[in-house]
Amino acid sequence: MKNKIKTIPRYGKDKRERLYLPAVLDGLKVTLKRLYENITDINSVDVLEYPEEQPKDITSRYRGLHRLTKREDESIRCVACFMCATACPSNCIFIEATQRDDGIDEKMPKSFKIDLLECIFCGYCVEACPCDAIRMDTGIFSITGKKREDFVLDKERLLSHKGAFGREYSVAGK
Amino acid sequence: MSTAMLVTTLGSVILAALLALLMIPVLVWLERRGAGLIQDRLGPNRTNLFGFRLGGVVQSFADVIKLVFKEEYYPSHIKKARWLFMLAPMITFSAALLAFMVIPFADDLVIDKEILKIQALPVDYGILWFLAIGSVGVIGAVMGGWLSHNKYSLLGSLRASSQMIGYELALALSVISMVITYNSIDFNQMVHFQSSTVLGFLPAWGVVVQPLAAVIFITAVFAETNRAPFNISEGESEIVAGYFTEYTAMKFAMFFMGEYVAMNSASAIVITMFFGGYQLPWTDTKELLDNFTFFAFALMIVIPSVIFFVIRWMRKNNRVRKSVSTDGGRDFETKVLTIALIVMTVVLETILFYIGVVDKSDITSKIAVMLFQIGVFVIKLMIFNLFFIAVRWTLPRFRYDQVQTLGWYYLLPLSLLNIFITAIVVVGVSS
Repeated sequence: MKNKIKTIPRYGKDKRERLYLPAVLDGLKVTLKRLYENITDINSVDVLEYPEEQPKDITSRYRGLHRLTKREDESIRCVACFMCATACPSNCIFIEATQRDDGIDEKMPKSFKIDLLECIFCGYCVEACPCDAIRMDTGIFSITGKKREDFVLDKERLLSHKGAFGREYSVAGK
Repeated sequence: MSTAMLVTTLGSVILAALLALLMIPVLVWLERRGAGLIQDRLGPNRTNLFGFRLGGVVQSFADVIKLVFKEEYYPSHIKKARWLFMLAPMITFSAALLAFMVIPFADDLVIDKEILKIQALPVDYGILWFLAIGSVGVIGAVMGGWLSHNKYSLLGSLRASSQMIGYELALALSVISMVITYNSIDFNQMVHFQSSTVLGFLPAWGVVVQPLAAVIFITAVFAETNRAPFNISEGESEIVAGYFTEYTAMKFAMFFMGEYVAMNSASAIVITMFFGGYQLPWTDTKELLDNFTFFAFALMIVIPSVIFFVIRWMRKNNRVRKSVSTDGGRDFETKVLTIALIVMTVVLETILFYIGVVDKSDITSKIAVMLFQIGVFVIKLMIFNLFFIAVRWTLPRFRYDQVQTLGWYYLLPLSLLNIFITAIVVVGVSS
């Protein structure tokens, strides 16, 4: 137990630091050294040249754009139970339920809309879903549009998104 | 009024306006890219005009265009006093701009026994002008904050005004000790004093003669320009944006540009008072004029070597990274800029050779020395502006009460003490 205690030295008490000006000069030395090193070799600055280079470090836990998953037979997994819409803190999920006639299940959404301008990407809908029908594993982090309507994703668009991390189909049973 | 006087007065007004106003986009760019490079980022470097990025400085002009075309927004409670709301940033901006106008950019030009000041406002009480105008800027902050009818804005202007009382005393008192030392309130006389030497080898710069006053003045001037670490009245992490929270579009831009103009003016004042002004150390104007040929030849060596290093730096750094293939066109820019720099050097060399060897008339050498001094002044100005920027990205912001403590408990007694010491030394030396 004893060797786990780490004492952090408290700075700012000795005379040199209380004079403040030497400390200012120390700080300036650090920043100007960085500035000099980077300005003499700008291409050594390790940055992501964003639009050309895309980030490669998006993990499977990253909350990207939503998608609706499918069953193994390529039909929609969602049973329109409204759990996600209930859990949603910003009330941006709009579901209309309908009878499901193909014998796979009893209920399915007629329309499933997510308003991305309201969405805060908290992931509560994913947590709430009992059927693993909605996921945020597309890895899409940048959403653009020219008018407000572009940001309301409908069922077809949500179904068309592909999972970026391998697991394509819903893992909830039947 | 003679033609020469007209030309020099007009020329210095234009020069002052250019130096103050054209410096704004450059300073904004320097700040953003400097911050980037200090923090291991790149900063804005993509915006270009026909493939010319000039290191990203075009971004500032794009920003100006954006700000001009933004929506004019007024808080809904402002109905009749719109002009007052608009006046606030104008006061801040003009105060900062006017403070720059008394800086001498070069030594007095003597043509036919007529003394011509290279100063936008040819006055000989420059430091009083600075003290008077410099503190007017805070009125704009107070007005803006009050009229915004917003708690954050009001807090910001409250902070601005109380901070002003805190530092202004120390600022003025440190100026008094400098006035005692230089025995003048004219900036040009101060620079003349600083072109001599002390102890035989040190340049008699204000920072060498009066280090304590220099530290106090520079600290106080940081507070006066609302720059970090004293930007408590803006305090974006505490009170949104302080007194300009409610300002948008060009009204905001006026406050924003006013900050940079104020920073530029402050740099100019600090240079003139403490770092030898337009003069190189160990030389004065007479010395330059007496050894004019030697001086021209020295410049003929210095300019190409500087240009050589600039071109080498540009060829190394102004290129597209291997990972980015589509961002092309930088090779063309490098080529054009290299040719332009070389042509400029050749032209300068020819002119220097002509005035150094062929045309040895008095007036050409005087004008050449004047232009050289303006160049030295601009270089010093840029260096001090860089110091301002480096300090901003080095020090965290002071807390509000810490600024008050610093101003009242430390800077004020120290500056009073400094006045006593200076007075005793000056009396002792002269008696």
